[in-house]
Amino acid sequence: MVVGVGDGVRGTHREMSSCFLDEETFCQCCQLFLQHSHSLCDGWSWQQVKGSEEGYLRKTTLGTGRTRCNQDQQGTSSDQHQERTFSLSFHDDDDDDDGAVCCIQEESSSVVQYEYHILYSCSYQTPVLYFRASTLEGRSLCLEEVWDSVHPNYRQRLQHRPWDTITQQEHPLLGQSFFVLHPCRTEEFMKPVLKAALEEHRQVNYIVTWLSVVGPVVGLDVPLSYCTQVPEPPHTPSSSPQPPALGTKPG
Amino acid sequence: MADDKDVLRDVWFGRIPTCFTLYQDEITEREAEPFYLLLPRMSYLTLVTDKVKKHFLKVMKAEDVEEMWFDFEGTSLKWHYPIGLLFDLHASNTALPWNITVHFKNFPERDLLHCPSNSVIEAHFMSSIKEADALKHKSQVINDMQKKDHKQLWMGLQNDKFDQFWAMNRKLMEYPTEEGGFRYIPFRIYLTMSDRPFIQKLFRPISPDGHTHTLGDLLKEVYPVAISNDDESKRYQVVIHGIEPLLETPLQWLSEHLSHPDNFLHISVIPAPSD
Repeated sequence: MVVGVGDGVRGTHREMSSCFLDEETFCQCCQLFLQHSHSLCDGWSWQQVKGSEEGYLRKTTLGTGRTRCNQDQQGTSSDQHQERTFSLSFHDDDDDDDGAVCCIQEESSSVVQYEYHILYSCSYQTPVLYFRASTLEGRSLCLEEVWDSVHPNYRQRLQHRPWDTITQQEHPLLGQSFFVLHPCRTEEFMKPVLKAALEEHRQVNYIVTWLSVVGPVVGLDVPLSYCTQVPEPPHTPSSSPQPPALGTKPG
Repeated sequence: MADDKDVLRDVWFGRIPTCFTLYQDEITEREAEPFYLLLPRMSYLTLVTDKVKKHFLKVMKAEDVEEMWFDFEGTSLKWHYPIGLLFDLHASNTALPWNITVHFKNFPERDLLHCPSNSVIEAHFMSSIKEADALKHKSQVINDMQKKDHKQLWMGLQNDKFDQFWAMNRKLMEYPTEEGGFRYIPFRIYLTMSDRPFIQKLFRPISPDGHTHTLGDLLKEVYPVAISNDDESKRYQVVIHGIEPLLETPLQWLSEHLSHPDNFLHISVIPAPSD
């Protein structure tokens, strides 16, 4: 009698060697995500990089934000207390001063345009959320103002873990400044979800799951129907523990 | 092997003679003299230009001074790129000294990152090191280091202390002997004639059949435009730290010896001068 490997064990328990995403699966997840977005008129679109297969998801929304910095608008305020923004302190021993020193103005509620991009990071093999915000007059919001729009529940956690935080970064495809939620801890929250889904034979779309965790932190809503309506692409992330690396093609 | 250590020193101590001139539309109380400085290739603009700021502040009123930023021939300079990379990318084939224009107004919000303090530079630097280690060692080496070890890397850079820096950085340059090299090589190829700022992809230093990948192999795979055919005259230069390494150079060796302190190989592809 031949006893096969895994006999008596229902199905194959694939080793959770990675909860990482290869680029091809990223694109597939995004396309499925996009189909649902179109059906909801949820505003997401796919931006292709010219001359390559790379691309990213993009969405703009209008919301209210609390803005405080009033950079030079021509004759906006005759307020005598209006300080110049970013009075820079170039002190060498300025260890803990992490934020921009904005002028202390009265906070006002105004309409803010948010732009969200979901890109793929090959270094971390995860998606990364880039975003920027500007007033309708085209003034970019500063880091302080962006912090104000982060839900209070998340603010404390983000501020105390240096690599879990929001920082200003260069957009790797556009070269412009964006804010980014650092991706290095993505594994921590994705791993248990993917593991559970695998064990329960449930479908999971990586992008949907990931975005429903990180999106709300920066004001991006993911309607519940995404979780039930968006399928997994044909190959699951854990079936390709090693991303197809360049330099391995024959010839 | 002694030669290789010399390479590390030469890379670390590279300098670029620079002349800083105040932008003509800045409001001054009297004429501003240009300021000359030797810039370290491996550092960052906002980390080494305190003296520049102090110099120009002498002739300006505080209310006319906002965040300092720089441009070269109309291109705003990204402080988060190493200085040597900025020079190679934008000013390689121009006469020295490097002429940089200094601004204190109209900060280009869309294009430049803000740099309100040194801790922002430190965060950016450490973030690059962490990303490089994610590629080289699945983050195992950097995560095994203590906070004080991370601090030592930053302090070594900030204070221009080669030995202090490399005492810690050498750990990030190790790999299991049986592997023959890092898991993937941390690199970025910067292009001047493209909207896209750089190309970064996964690339192994050794092929599955043990073949050592060279700089030429990398370019062929990731940016073949950079390599000309034999019969064509060379259209592009591939520059790292101001030199054009031979395309036959092993990539693993380049990664260990010609990386910047952030552990990335920053490679510029620029148009070859036509003379």
